[in-house]
Amino acid sequence: MLAGGVMGLVLSGDLFNMFIMVEILTFAAVALTAFRNRVTGALEAAFKYLVVGCIGSTCILAGTILLYHQAHTLNLAQLSTLIAGNLDVNTVIAFVLLFIGFCTKAFIVPFHPLAADAHGAAPAPVSVLISGVLTKSGIYGIIRLAYFLFQTMNLGAMQFWLVFLGSVSMFVCVTMALAQHDFKRLLAFHSISQIGYVLAAVGLSTALGASAGLYHAMNHTLFKGLLFLTAGAVLHETGTTDLGKLGGLSKKMPWTTALFLIGAASISGIPPFNGFASKWLIYQATYEKAAETGNIGFAFVTIVALVTSTLTLASFVKVTQSVFFGQLPKECEKAKEVSFGMRFAMSILALLCILTGLFPNIVQKYLTGPAGRTLFNVSAYIDGMMGKGYAQATMGTNMPEAGNRAIEIVGVWNPVNWLMLLMIALLAICIVAIASKYDAVRENKTEKVEAKYSLFYGGEETEFSQVGGGDLFWGFKHNWRHYFSFMHDLHSGIVNDYSLWAVVALALAMVYALIVLL
Amino acid sequence: MFKKLIAESTGKSPWLFHINAGSCNGCDIELVSVLTPRYDAERLGFKLTGSPRHADIVVVTGPVTEQSLNRVLRSIEQVPDPKCIVTMGSCPQSGNVFRGSYSVAGPLSKYVHVDVDVAGCTPKPEAVIDGLYLATQILAQKRKEMKK
Amino acid sequence: MILDALKYLAYVLIFPGFLFCFLTGLLLAGIDRKLVARMQKRVGPPILQPFYDFFKLCGKKTIVPAAANKTVFLMAPLLGLASLVVLQLFIPVFRFQIAAFSNVADMIVILYLLLIPAVSIIMGGASTGSPYAGIGLSREMVTVLACELPLVLVLLSVGRYVGTAIGAKDGISFSLSQIVGYQLEGGSLITKASLIPAAIAFLLVIPGETGNHPFDAAEAETEICEGMLAEYSGAPLGVFKLSHAIKMLTMTSLFVMLFFGGVGAGVDNLVALIGLTGGAATAVTIILDILLMFLLCVVVTAVGISLVHAVTARLKIEQIFKYYWTVVSALALLSLVLVWYGL
Repeated sequence: MLAGGVMGLVLSGDLFNMFIMVEILTFAAVALTAFRNRVTGALEAAFKYLVVGCIGSTCILAGTILLYHQAHTLNLAQLSTLIAGNLDVNTVIAFVLLFIGFCTKAFIVPFHPLAADAHGAAPAPVSVLISGVLTKSGIYGIIRLAYFLFQTMNLGAMQFWLVFLGSVSMFVCVTMALAQHDFKRLLAFHSISQIGYVLAAVGLSTALGASAGLYHAMNHTLFKGLLFLTAGAVLHETGTTDLGKLGGLSKKMPWTTALFLIGAASISGIPPFNGFASKWLIYQATYEKAAETGNIGFAFVTIVALVTSTLTLASFVKVTQSVFFGQLPKECEKAKEVSFGMRFAMSILALLCILTGLFPNIVQKYLTGPAGRTLFNVSAYIDGMMGKGYAQATMGTNMPEAGNRAIEIVGVWNPVNWLMLLMIALLAICIVAIASKYDAVRENKTEKVEAKYSLFYGGEETEFSQVGGGDLFWGFKHNWRHYFSFMHDLHSGIVNDYSLWAVVALALAMVYALIVLL
Repeated sequence: MFKKLIAESTGKSPWLFHINAGSCNGCDIELVSVLTPRYDAERLGFKLTGSPRHADIVVVTGPVTEQSLNRVLRSIEQVPDPKCIVTMGSCPQSGNVFRGSYSVAGPLSKYVHVDVDVAGCTPKPEAVIDGLYLATQILAQKRKEMKK
Repeated sequence: MILDALKYLAYVLIFPGFLFCFLTGLLLAGIDRKLVARMQKRVGPPILQPFYDFFKLCGKKTIVPAAANKTVFLMAPLLGLASLVVLQLFIPVFRFQIAAFSNVADMIVILYLLLIPAVSIIMGGASTGSPYAGIGLSREMVTVLACELPLVLVLLSVGRYVGTAIGAKDGISFSLSQIVGYQLEGGSLITKASLIPAAIAFLLVIPGETGNHPFDAAEAETEICEGMLAEYSGAPLGVFKLSHAIKMLTMTSLFVMLFFGGVGAGVDNLVALIGLTGGAATAVTIILDILLMFLLCVVVTAVGISLVHAVTARLKIEQIFKYYWTVVSALALLSLVLVWYGL
C-alpha cells in the first residue's frame, strides 16, 4: 500500500490525485509504525504521526481547493501554465499550504521528531521504507511544486527559503543524532539530516545542484537502507537497540560489522563511498552558487555542509564504538551471525553503495544528470502532457527557457584511480609487513597466558567496562551544553507541542511567502 | 638489512614504564628528574610511556606491598618481549626500612627475574642513568638471544 | 604499458610515495624532537631517534589482546599508513607534480582523505575494547571536529582567492596544481594581505590535526595511557608512530604548497643562472625543489609544532575545541570575508 501510494504519487499528473496518494501512503506508514504494537511507544509514535500527518494532509487539501477555486482545473500541466508568472495572494497561500504539507511528509525540520519516534518504534524493514521512500516522496512533492507548478525557483527568495530549510535540517538533526542513545532513533535523525542535504542542493536551482541533490537522495536510500538493516540485525540477535546495553558485537557478527562500516563510511562522506561522491558535488554546487551570485550566504551553506559531514562521522564513531567494538556485555553473549538471507540483502545494498561511489560519472551521466536537467525543462513537460505547442500558445512571453544546462564541476575527484593507488600502497605495505613478521604473534596464542593477553587496566584484573555512547565526545558536548539543553527542552515528546510547531511553521512560511513572493 | 637495522636500534630506543609498588614517592620524583634538562636521559633515547604494551624497560620503585604485588606482576607480564626489569632504590631489592612489615611482600626478585638493581635511597640521577644504560645493553643482548 | 605501470609503481613506492614519506617523515619527527629539546635547554635525542624507535618496535613481539578483534586490530595501522602515503601523492612539489595524479583529488577531497587515518586509528583503538581507547577515541574525534571548521574555512578562502585571481570559471579553484601554478607566477599567497589570517589559522591547525603536543589530549600518555594506542605493541605501534610522523610531513607540506608555493620560482631562476639546459636542468630543478620543500617543511615544523610544543602545557579537550572554534575559526573567517569582498 505504501509502495502503491508512492508510485501513484510519482506518476500522477493531477493535484487531487497527488493528495489522495499522499493520504494513502501516510496511513500505510501510520499502520506500519504501529505494526509492533506490543512495543512500548509504537502506538504513541503512530498517534503522533497520525496527528501531525493529518495537519500536513489538511494543508495539502486546502491548497488544492484554493487552486481549484482559482483555476478550475486540477491538471498539473494546465495549472502550471495558468499560474506561471502571475502569482497573486490566492496562489501564494495555496503554494505555502501545499509546501508545508509536503514538508511534513519529508520530515523537514519543524516536523523532525515524528520521524525519530516512528523509526524507533517500527520494525527495521519498515524503517527502510519510511526513510528511503516516504521522505523522498515529500522531497518529490516539494520539487514538483517549486520547480513545475509555480516555477518560483528562479526567485532568489525561494532559493534562499529552500536552502535555509535544508541547512537548518541538516545541522539541527545531526546534533540531535549526536545526543541520541538509541541506534534506530539516531539513524532516524540522520535520515532527516541527509534529506536536508538533498533539499539544500535542490534549492540551489542550478543544474549541478539539482543533479547532486538527486544523486544524494538515491545514495541516501542505499546507505540508510543498509544501516537500518544492520540495526535490524542487531535487534534480531540481541533484542535491544539501546547503545548503552550493547557492545563488542564485532567478534560475534563480523559480517554485519563489515557491512555496517561500509554504510557508516558512506553516510559520513568518507571517500571513496557513495555518500562522499554526492556530498562532494553538493559542496561544489553550493560554493559555485555562492561565487556565481556573489552571495556569501551560500558559502556558509557549504561550510555547514562540510562540518555536518564530520559531525555525522562523529556520531557513527559513537555507534561503532558502543555497538560493534568495545567489550561484550553478558546479555549479548548469545548473539551470533545473522542468517545468510539477511546478510545477502545487506550485501547487495553495500555493493551498490560502493559501485555508485566509485563511478560517480556514470551515475551522473545516465541517471541524475538527465533527471536534474528535466527539472529545468518545464515547457517540455507541459507539451508532453497537453500536446505540442501548448505551452508556447498559452504562456507566450512567460515561457521559461528550457536550456540544456551543462553541468560544470570545478574540483577533481577520480575515485577509481585513488582506489587503485590505495590498493597498490596497501599491498606494498602488507608485503613488507608480512616479510618482516608483522603478525608474529600467532605462535604465542596457544600458550594462553591469561594476564599477558588481557587488557591493561593499570594492573587490575580485567573487569567489564565499556565506554558507552553517552560518555563519548564530552569536550564537544560541554562546549555546546546550552544548545543541547535547549534542544532537550524543546523536544518534549508531547504531540500538542509538535502540532503547535506545525502551525507556527505554517504561519511563518505564510508571512515570509506573502512578503517576498508577491 | 632489516634485521641488522633492528639489531642496531634495539639498544638505542629504550622506552620506560614506571610502576610504583608502594614507594614513598622519593624515587618516583628522582626518576622524573632524570628526564629534566639537567640530566636529560632523552639524549640516550629514553622516553616514559603510559602503557606497558609500549615499554622495553620496566622500572619498579617501592617495597612491593601485598596490595600491589599482583598488579605489578600483571603489568610486567603485559610487556612484550624483549623486556628488561630494573628496580630502583633499595626498597624493591631488600625492603629497606619497610623490611619485615606485615604488608610487604618483596623483594621483587622472589617473583620475577630482575635484570638491573639500582641501589640507594634514593639513587642519584647519575646512578639511575647508568643503571638504565646497562639495561639497554642487556636488552640488545636479549633481542639477539630471542632471534636464536 | 608495462613501462607506465612501472612508472606509477615507482611513484607510489619511491617518490613521492612510500620511501620518501618514510624517510622525510621520520626525519621531520626527529628534527622536531631535537628542536623541542634544544628549546628546553636539553641536549635532546639524536635526529635519527624516530628511526631507532621504529625499527626497535618492529623487532618487538606483538601482543593481540584476547578481547580484541584481530583483523581490525592488525589491519587498521596498515590502512591508515597506506591512505596517508597515497594522500602525499596528490600534494605537488612546486613545479614537479605527476600529471596523472593532479586530476585525482582536489583540496576538498584531501580534507576528507585526511579523515581516513584518523578513522583508522579510531577503529584500531576501538577494536581492542580497552576503556582507555574509548576515552581516547572520543577525544580524538572531538579534536578532528575542532580542526575541521578552521581547515574548511582556510581551504574555501584559498580556493576563492586563487579562483578569482586566475579567472577560473565561476571564480573558484580547488585544484592544488592550479594553486601552486598561480603562486609561481603571481607570488606566494602568504604575501597577500587578505590571506595572512588564513595562513596563521592553518599554522595553528597543524599541531591539532597531527595530534602534537598541546593538542594531544587524545594520546595523553600520563592520564589515559596513550588512549587508542594503549593496547598496541610491536610493529603495529611502530606503524602508527610512522603514520603520525608522515602526517606531520603531509600537513606541513600542504601548508608550504598553499602559502609558500611562490618560493619555487627562485629555483627556476637559479637553474637558469647556472646555465643548465635540457634534461640536466629538469633533474636539478626537481632535486632542488624537493630540498627546498623539505627545508620549508622544517621551518614550518619548527614554528608550528616545535615552538608551540616547547612553550605550552597540554590543553584539556574542551579547551581544544573551544580554542579552535573561536580563535582560529575567527581568523580563518576573517580571511574568507576579506577574500570574498576582494580586499
